[in-house]
Formats: sequence, C-alpha cells, structure tokens
Amino acid sequence: MPEQQQTQYEPKIVAFLCKWCSSAGSDLAGVSRIQYPANATPITVMCSGSVSPQYILSAFRKGADGVLVSGCHIGDCHYLEGNYFARRKLYLVNELLQFIGVEPERFRMSWVSAAEGTKYSKIVRDFVEDLRPLGPQDKLKAQRP
Amino acid sequence: MINPQDLRTRARDLLAKGEVRAVIGYRRGSRGMAAEPVVITRPDDANSLVWDPTCVHNLALYLVEDCKQFAKVHQHPEKPIAIVAKGCDARAIVVLLQENYFKREDVYIIGVSCETVGVLDERKLAHHPAGVDLERLESAAFAGDDFVFTTASGEQRLSAREVMADRCLECRNPFPKTNNVVFGEEKARTLAAPFAALVRFEKETSTQPVRWSFWNHQFERCIRCFACRSVCPMCYCDECVVDSIAFAVMPDTTAEEKANRVRWIERSASRSDNIGYHMTRALHLAGRCIDCGECERVCPVHIPLRLLNTKLERDAREKFGYEPGASVEIASFVSSFRDDDPNDFIR
Amino acid sequence: MERILDKGQLGDWIAALDGWEVFAPVLQDDVWSYQPVRRATDSVRLNHPNTTQPPKNFAFPQREVFFTFEQIKGEAPRLTPLVPKSEQRVIFGVRPCDGRGLPRMDRVFTEQFEDTYYQARREQLAYVGLACNQPPGRNCFCKSVGGSPVSREGLDVLMTDLGDRYLLLAVTATGETLMRKAGSLLAEPTGVDRGEAGRVHLAAITHPQRAVSNTTSVPARLKANFTSPLWEELAKPCISCGICTFLCPTCHCFDINDETAGSVPLRGSRIRTWDTCQFPDFTMHSSGHNPRGSLGTRLRQRVCHKFQYFHENFGMFQCTGCGRCVTGCPVGIDIITVVNQVASAADLPLTGKG
Repeated sequence: MPEQQQTQYEPKIVAFLCKWCSSAGSDLAGVSRIQYPANATPITVMCSGSVSPQYILSAFRKGADGVLVSGCHIGDCHYLEGNYFARRKLYLVNELLQFIGVEPERFRMSWVSAAEGTKYSKIVRDFVEDLRPLGPQDKLKAQRP
Repeated sequence: MINPQDLRTRARDLLAKGEVRAVIGYRRGSRGMAAEPVVITRPDDANSLVWDPTCVHNLALYLVEDCKQFAKVHQHPEKPIAIVAKGCDARAIVVLLQENYFKREDVYIIGVSCETVGVLDERKLAHHPAGVDLERLESAAFAGDDFVFTTASGEQRLSAREVMADRCLECRNPFPKTNNVVFGEEKARTLAAPFAALVRFEKETSTQPVRWSFWNHQFERCIRCFACRSVCPMCYCDECVVDSIAFAVMPDTTAEEKANRVRWIERSASRSDNIGYHMTRALHLAGRCIDCGECERVCPVHIPLRLLNTKLERDAREKFGYEPGASVEIASFVSSFRDDDPNDFIR
Repeated sequence: MERILDKGQLGDWIAALDGWEVFAPVLQDDVWSYQPVRRATDSVRLNHPNTTQPPKNFAFPQREVFFTFEQIKGEAPRLTPLVPKSEQRVIFGVRPCDGRGLPRMDRVFTEQFEDTYYQARREQLAYVGLACNQPPGRNCFCKSVGGSPVSREGLDVLMTDLGDRYLLLAVTATGETLMRKAGSLLAEPTGVDRGEAGRVHLAAITHPQRAVSNTTSVPARLKANFTSPLWEELAKPCISCGICTFLCPTCHCFDINDETAGSVPLRGSRIRTWDTCQFPDFTMHSSGHNPRGSLGTRLRQRVCHKFQYFHENFGMFQCTGCGRCVTGCPVGIDIITVVNQVASAADLPLTGKG
C-alpha cells in the first residue's frame, strides 16, 4: 500500500525572461529534456531593461514566493543597452527589498544566454531549494479582502 | 549671516524693474512662528518676505506648480520667476532642469546659504530640555551658530545643532551653487556624517526579522494622505503610477484606455498597497531625491521616510558614483550606466 | 450622576470594564494615537494634548470592506457581505471637540440613509471624554464654532481633571453603565470637589483661544463671496494632499473601488476608502472635465462645506474647532484665517460662474 505522503511546500516563482536570450535559454532546457523543478512561471519580456520595478513588486504582492529576472549577458543585449539599465535599476530593487526586511533569497537576477539551457535549469533548481526553507511569502502579499 | 532686508530689497528691485514676474519666497504665517510659502507679484509685498530657521519648505515645488499652470493654457511665461532657494532647494531645481522641466532662463534663483546652521526641526524643539514653549513662540531667528526664539515672555537661545533637522546636520552642500544671486557665505558644515540617520537605523535594526518588524509597523500606520508625494518637487507626474485613480483623462481618451488602465496599487491603505506605494516612490526618486526632508516632515504619522530615500541615495553615490542635483549637464541616474556598475549580485 | 475617581485608580476602573474593548491615547512613534489597552500591563495616564488622528476612525475606518465577490461558472456572482460585528468599545480621553464630531458624522451616516457598516461600528462605541482645562494646542478654536472645552455633546462620560482626582459626569445611559462598573472606586463629590470643578470649568471656558469671528453671519458671508478671488489667493500654497481632511473629526468623503484578487475566476472585494475634496482628481469627470481643477475651488469646497453647506443643511457648523487642519497643514493654510478673511471681504456680485 503506497504511503500517504505529506505534500511538500512548493515555492511559486515568477520569472521575467528576456525574449532574445533567457526565454530562449529556458526553451533550450525544455527541448534538451533537462529535468528541473516546474515552480517557475515564465513571463517573456522583450528585454530585461523593460522590466519595471512594478512587475516585481506586483508579483510579490500577488503572492509570488520568489521573483527572477533574467536577461542577456552584458554586452549581448539585443537592444544594445537594455540590460545595462536593468542591472542598475534592479540593483536598487534588490537593495530596497532587503532594506525593508524581505529575505534576500526571494529576488534574484541572472544573465542566461539562448545557449545556456543547463544554466537556466540550475538557476531555477537552486532558487527553489533556497526558497523552500523560507516558506510562503507573506510580507508583500496582499491580504484579501 | 544673511540680513533678511537684503533679500527683501533684491526681491523688490527685481519686481519693480520688471525683471521677474513673481518671487516665490517665505513669509510669516498666521498660526504661530512658522514661515509659510508665498508668491508675491507686487514690489511692496517684498516687505513680507522673511528668512529665518522656520523656512523649511522646498519652494521648488511651486516652480513645478507654476509650470503646470502655464502648460494648462498652452502658454510660456514671458518673464522668469524668481525663487528663494536654500542649498537643497537649488539642487532640486538642478534636477528639474536636468529633466527639462523648464529652462534655466525661466527661473531666477535667489540663493540663500544656510552657512553653518540649517533649519529648524520643530519636533526636536518640542523635545528639547530647554522646554521652549512652542505654543507661545512668536518668532525664530538665526544668530551665528545658534537659533534665537522669542516668546511673549522673552528670548531663548539654543545651539542650532541641537534642534536642526537631521538632513541639515548631514548636509554636504548648504551653499546653493546654482544661482543668479546668492546671499550668505559659503561655509563648510560638518555636523554629522552623511547618512548618519540611516547608519544609526541600520545598526539598530541589524537583523532581517527586526528590520521587517520595523517596516511592517510603519507601513501599517500609513493613512495614504499622499502628503509625502504632494510636497515633493520631484513627484510632478499628473498621472501617478501608484495611484489607481489619478488618471490624466483628455476628451479623446477612449473608453478602452480607461478600462484597461493598470491598477498597480489600490487607494485603500492596506499594508501591501502601502508597501507598493512607498517602495515605488523611493525607486522613482533614486538619483533624484536631494534630501530636502520635506516628505518626512509633513507625514502626519511620522513615518521615517528619509530612511527609504537616503538608502537609495547612498547606493547611488557609493555604488554608482552618482550625486543628485550636482550638475544640469549629466544624464539622470536611471537613464545612464557605467561598464563597472555592480554585477556581483547577478548570477 | 457625578462621581469622584482618584487618579491613581483610573487603571482599576478600566480593569473593571469587562466586556468592553478599551482604547486610550498612547505616545508611539512620537505621535499620540488611540491604542488598545491591555489591562494587565498598560497604565493609562490621560496626559495627552490631543491625538493626531481623531476617534472618527473607530466608526469610519480608512479601509472598509463592503463585500467580497466571486464569479461562479454558469451562475450569478456570489456576493458575501462583510458587515463588521457590533462590538462594545470605549475610547478614553476624547476631547470635547472630537466628541462633537460624532453627532455630525451621525447626521450623514444614520439619518436619511442608514449606513450599515458605520452603524455596526458606531452603535456600541462609547466615548469617555476629558475636558480641556486649557487648550491642548495653539490652534484650538472650539468656542467660536459653538463648542466648548467642557462640552458634553457626543460623549458618554465627561471627565474633569481636578489635579489628583477626576470628576466623572455621566452624560448618557451608557456612560452611567460604564461608571457603575467602577463600583466602590467612585466616591460622591463633596462641596469642595464641585467648587473645584466649577473653578476649573470656568477657567477653561474663559481661557483665550483663537476664533472665527462673527460666526452668526459666516454662512451668509461665505455664500456672498463664492466668487471672491481671495479663494485662489489663499489656496496658492496648497499642495493638494489629504492631511486636513484625513485628520478632521468630521470629514467623511469616501471613494468605493473594486479590488480584484484574481481574474479567472474573477474574485475580489468592494472597498470603501477615505477620499478628500483636496485631491486634484476628486471631481474629475470621465470626460476629463474637472469642475474643481483649481486650488481655490477646492479650498472653497472644504471651507464652505464646514461653515456654510453643512450649516444650511443641518443648522450647525460641521467644524468643531479641533485645530488639526491648521496645525497639520504642511504649508500653513489656516482655516481660521481663511474664513475670517473671506467672510469679512466686500461683497461681490454673483456672476453665476464658479
């Protein structure tokens, strides 16, 4: 008789992936049949530089346990400079989230190219494992009603 | 030390000669000793201008309002407007110039140097052991390194550094470098280390749970009066992204645009919405906030808002080498980047 | 019913109020606010000037959830009303100006239309007031708007500070109930007590205050000066924040919004929040037209509501003279000065334009 297993807490990750590099990288992980946790909901954006702090705050406010923003490597941005702006802006978001007391593990950024399927899967896997002990995010999450 | 009469004379002359169409300055208010902002247009009204430790307001806010009035009627003022500006206020004007809000020739900056002292923090005065009776105060004046307070029963003199605003203690630029004329001398002021209040806070809330407990409490108390936003010269957007209701509606705005308007933050003061509001405002001010401290002063429930803004200001300075309000020529903080911007936090 | 309570026994009285949730002014974050009293550990001292926010929040909170809604496939949406439970709550240390605020809120929320949510919060709300031996602030002006530092209006009990003891006066049946819970803690007032109270009250009433002048003619004078250019002049420094409104014991404008939590299936809540006629978009029409797009029209709105419209509708000023809007305004706009200046300005012909 199979044992009734307690369902493990599965962190919900929202991943903003730039279309040209990171999103393609996640696709490569898929077609390469790399096994990795399915906790990240991907949202394709045109460029990591187009990720507004509102997207990140909104994801947390809707209950995301972790938020990932991933773009092209520095120098490789399809729009030349977008990821430079992302690096600057999202540094501040990262700092401010930690400043108000949100766990540093909850927000992260990565540079993942279209060829780095393996890297993408590792990033998600690591993210899930880092988030699991933190439990559900309830600091920014909107309490309804 | 500045003789306020020199200020009044200059204002009167500018108006009498028609060099400016108005002067934004300070005058005595009706509710006690505190100064209040005033816009004068007649030379004789210059007699009402004051310069004293209660001149805390950032008058650059009224430059923004003035611009909006002209924009509404699609006109451009023929003459510049003059403004009394402390060091911090002048830097706010620089930021507005950086962002092309108006042209340099549209504003005549009457700089006033705070010299070795800044302006008064009324809350500090209320707590000061000298027991100055705020309720019966009639006036306050600069006196070298002191403030002199006058009540019906006489004068009380206090060392300014004991009742100066924190942002004045930490100020590195009390002299308004950008100006058309300046009163007072450029003097060094090193009363507290820059970002002293921030450093103190970080020491007192050094663990993440303690830090969260502090901010959770603060964000729960916010009543979303929007005074912090309203008093900030840099929050000039007619349509505020974190205000679900302030929507710039034109006669040709379509129903679809109205229906599809994204509501990032709701108006109701839930903790989550309050966090979203304050974090977004702080991020939108990164590299633009010149720490006039007005947001913190006006908050009716005393949320220590300077902490949020100075945190990002320190990052801008130390990690990105960026100083807000330093120069009109350089690009804004978030529209520029360097090759050696911090990258270690990115996997 | 009048009794004497030793100051040292205030805590014992509060401890005896079983069945009541007690709130008292506490200095926290350098701000006086009403906080719940934990009977075992908190000591209540009533040495506050006045709280930053008025007690209207107890009956009329910043955020009130009306109902939640849920879209059910194939059915009509399910609405779940969330009317708050009516609870016995007693607020200590309410100043007479704030006490007078409650009946003014009641006129709006309980007369022509009974607001279920307001009613639920208000019906078992009790105020134990504290007379002002002297004005708690320099901008108090309760006397000139029909109030007084010893007014009982809106209060259930009026306490008067006699130095080492309080004189308690039951104003309503609820007040009497609250006082009876103190049992033997209370003593009959002596002739000395009554004399002292009379002296304290007289001193309070005769203490100089700022004042709105010629109040009997104010409503008509404001009406006559509807088009006065003074409004724009006086409103010039206004930054259109919500401080005056949100700190006022009688301001009650609100907005209602649906906040959605999820879209498939659609669910969310309908929420009432405070609003203020001072926000630039308060009267913004969906066409983009804004009848009160200027600072002067908005200042006029608030001031006239307090001193003219409410008077025309209910025969009383809506303003109770607490002075919070005067003290709290970041740029020094002073309702006393505004009313006095506009009311005393020369008549202007009504042009029919706003």
